[in-house]
Amino acid sequence: MSCSVFDSKPESRPDWKAYVLCELGQDAHRQAEAHLAACSICHEEVATLRLTLDTLSTLREEEMSRRIAFVSDKVFEPRWWQRGFNKTLFSPTFAAGVLVAIAILIHGSMQTGRTSQAQVDAAVTKAVSQVETRHMQEIQAMYEHLEVRDKQVANMYLSNAALIR
Amino acid sequence: MIFREVEDPDLIAKARRGDVEAYNLLVSRWEKRVYNYLLRLVSNREDAMDVSQEVFLKAYQSLPKLDDPARFSGWLFRIAHNEAFSMLRRKRPETELAGEPRPADLNPRLLPMELSLAVETALGRLNPDQREAVLLKVYQGFKFEEMAEILDCPVSTVKSRLYTALDLLKATLAPMQKTALRGES
Repeated sequence: MSCSVFDSKPESRPDWKAYVLCELGQDAHRQAEAHLAACSICHEEVATLRLTLDTLSTLREEEMSRRIAFVSDKVFEPRWWQRGFNKTLFSPTFAAGVLVAIAILIHGSMQTGRTSQAQVDAAVTKAVSQVETRHMQEIQAMYEHLEVRDKQVANMYLSNAALIR
Repeated sequence: MIFREVEDPDLIAKARRGDVEAYNLLVSRWEKRVYNYLLRLVSNREDAMDVSQEVFLKAYQSLPKLDDPARFSGWLFRIAHNEAFSMLRRKRPETELAGEPRPADLNPRLLPMELSLAVETALGRLNPDQREAVLLKVYQGFKFEEMAEILDCPVSTVKSRLYTALDLLKATLAPMQKTALRGES
């Protein structure tokens, strides 16, 4: 038996591989089918190709050993209010602020009702007088220091003038 | 009530807006196919797993660059192809020492039938380009044009690689299958 298409024009041979792979256009597919029905050689060729593809399809897909896990699963992600809560409560600044606020409140509650206005006035007067006294001492010390320096400068001028002469 | 499965382009749109759950769903749809494609290319489970992870990470990062969400599969396999060959290039000295890919490295318990082992062996004897063409066409069902995009080569090259591979596989597998069929009858 011989195939007229094969024998006459090898270059016009139907693309059987494209045919079995369903890559032929509608017209080409119809022509190929018509030829197949009449040509046992081409029929044999196509049968062998199909057998090869069937054999290839016996290779089974493998299961993966683990899921792709580069993004965290949403189920384990905290909700928006949990994220906000965690972020504020566990930040050092927030915790320090809370501690200071608690300390002020405790201190304030302990002092409330025990101090009179007179005690406050006396404490303020005492503090002001202490500050004034300290300022006066500092100013006095500054004057004394300046006087000493003036004398030193004057002496230096005098000794320089004596040398020049 | 009619339930419609969420399409890939919908998931891609959501993932682009930062919806991690949508991307996770997309990954779960494609991970097995990508993993098996890579497994046959690199012939090593751990490598295939690592590259798969890399592929989906790259895909997530590049999602805004995907022009047409309807062509997600081809785009994803293009990334997989690039990552696999980049890994193979990095490991070339080791691969050369080891010789050609050994299908026997694959778990024989998962492929108990003689025929499956024969397919693995036959695929392992193809060169990497031919093997990849078979994987994309026969196992992943891509069209010639899509394969050309994934492999970044002309359709004629795709066909040439695939047809040569099919001729080689036909010569090895068809007689075996015929014998098996004769034995059954």
